[in-house]
Amino acid sequence: MSRWAKQIETQVGIPTVCVAMDNIVHYAVTYIREYYTGMPLRFVAVPFPFTGQPKSVDVGYVTGKDMLNGGPLMAGVVSALTSPLTANEKISGAPANESVEPRLLPPDTEDNLRALFDAKEWSDYNWINLPTEKKVMAMLRGTSHKPDEIIKTVTITGGARPLSVEKVAISAVMAGASPEHFPVILALATQAPFGNSTSSMANMVVINGPIGKKLNFNSGTNAMGPYNRSNAVVGRAFTILSKTAGDLRNGINAWESLGSNFQYNNILYAENEDNLPDGWKPLHTQMGFNPDDNVVTVGTGWTSISSVGGSQELYPVHYLMRDYMRSLTASGSAATIVMDPTVAGLLQNAHGFKTKEQLSEWFSQNAEKTAGNYWGNGVIQSMVVPLALQGLEPYASWRKVPNETMIKPFTNSRAIHIVVTGGKIQTTWFVTDFGMRRGVKIDDWA
Amino acid sequence: MKAQILAGALLGSLALLPAAVSARPLPKNARQTSDSGKSGNSGSSAKEKLPFPNVPRITAEEVEKLIKAKGDVVIVDTDDSMSYGAEHIKDAVNIAYDPTVDVSNEDQTLQVLPGNKLIVFYCNCPHEEDSAPMVQEMWQLGYAHNQVKALQGGLTRWEQLGYPLAGTDLPKGTQEKGE
Repeated sequence: MSRWAKQIETQVGIPTVCVAMDNIVHYAVTYIREYYTGMPLRFVAVPFPFTGQPKSVDVGYVTGKDMLNGGPLMAGVVSALTSPLTANEKISGAPANESVEPRLLPPDTEDNLRALFDAKEWSDYNWINLPTEKKVMAMLRGTSHKPDEIIKTVTITGGARPLSVEKVAISAVMAGASPEHFPVILALATQAPFGNSTSSMANMVVINGPIGKKLNFNSGTNAMGPYNRSNAVVGRAFTILSKTAGDLRNGINAWESLGSNFQYNNILYAENEDNLPDGWKPLHTQMGFNPDDNVVTVGTGWTSISSVGGSQELYPVHYLMRDYMRSLTASGSAATIVMDPTVAGLLQNAHGFKTKEQLSEWFSQNAEKTAGNYWGNGVIQSMVVPLALQGLEPYASWRKVPNETMIKPFTNSRAIHIVVTGGKIQTTWFVTDFGMRRGVKIDDWA
Repeated sequence: MKAQILAGALLGSLALLPAAVSARPLPKNARQTSDSGKSGNSGSSAKEKLPFPNVPRITAEEVEKLIKAKGDVVIVDTDDSMSYGAEHIKDAVNIAYDPTVDVSNEDQTLQVLPGNKLIVFYCNCPHEEDSAPMVQEMWQLGYAHNQVKALQGGLTRWEQLGYPLAGTDLPKGTQEKGE
């Protein structure tokens, strides 16, 4: 909103006032103003939530009180548009720089340093290894890349941060990783920071290739549980890395209303490549990598639904998965089905899915939901409606059908991924809405 | 007792901050650069290095042929919504590229684009500076390399060839689509 307001004022020359929700307006007034637009903007505020309310409620907001400044909202709008600039608003040029942290912190007690890291929100609030120079240097020996090499520039609210190999090593140490994990974490760093939304966005990380066995990533029993060091520390490193590199601070610029417990570990596991049915390729080879390549793949989503019990003959397993998929947003057709090798075998042997791709295509053709269910989701509203109104099919046509009309929202079968992991103890699976990005070759970071 | 071992040796993770405060968001300059390229297809000399050379380009002529043949093509305007509203290729949809924001923030929107059609991104810039990064991001999302391309010369080239446009800045009576 601030960007648009700035654009209207500077490019079109029209005085502008931003109408924000009262849950976020102070962030807009302060942080965005100082670090994002670089320009003072005027705001009024209405109560939250705004969307999903009866129109009478929204009308009440407009005729009601300005939650930021007091007084009637519309009077606030008129005042913001017409009153002369204050002295503070006439200040031009870039805002004063935020205080700069030194590369090396001054000496202090361990307790004080831990308190400092917590206060700065540089951790996940679990116990961290304090990143001494000695420990960080040891971590850096896990890669041939130089400490000052810039992996990427992370765009944060109001700026950009070059993310160096050394900074990733700091997070790796803090998470409890060992130098042999470091190339995996560096590859993950190319995908940092993790998702940050007002809803409970999270990530899923999949390890493929021989490195899974070499570093003892878990792809067997409890692959997705707290029973393996590599899964635990590498997943955690992505969290710490994302929080520090992405400048994510609770209530300042991290605004997930409920948050997500997935963000502690980012659902990191390895694919059980040894137990894939014949013809079912590992995730990384589906993406075009060689089987011997070591690859880490990061997905972004919100939802994971467990099968709870094992598969039954009464109702084929892929039917149940399809039914669960109806609960997903289908945003961008994204879904990732995580299944035990026994389920994969069942799908091939009992139901004839010779490849993962066949199964993905079946889901694309058979997972249906009502148009009302589809359009009733906030993510779909914000992401898809603008494109539908511009004529993009099939969304433009779906906007015109009655709410109860069944549609097939997973239009792109390539966005439906199948990953096999687990210990062959029970025929269980998860249906998730994680959209997988292209994998990153770990070997490039060794 | 002070942690002497840590003295002077603790690497503050927010040694990240200096860059964060020194690198303010740059104003989007695509409009200005595009103006300089209006005299030719792309305004570039043969020796000038093409940005994003690995991103495949498609000519305006090829896209026009595909549209006329009712081919499966989706055209995406990467300019901001105001510029899109003012003028865009007829039937193009708008997914803005903002250089101040990590392009991966657009993932949820980009994934809405169909997986079974040719997708052509364009910008109002001479060398596809804004459209080419979107093509790369589509690859990251799993779209096939030959399925996503950048329009060579962008909107300027399209306009030069007199191909159909839409938008509020067009003379009255010539607007192909109400905005």
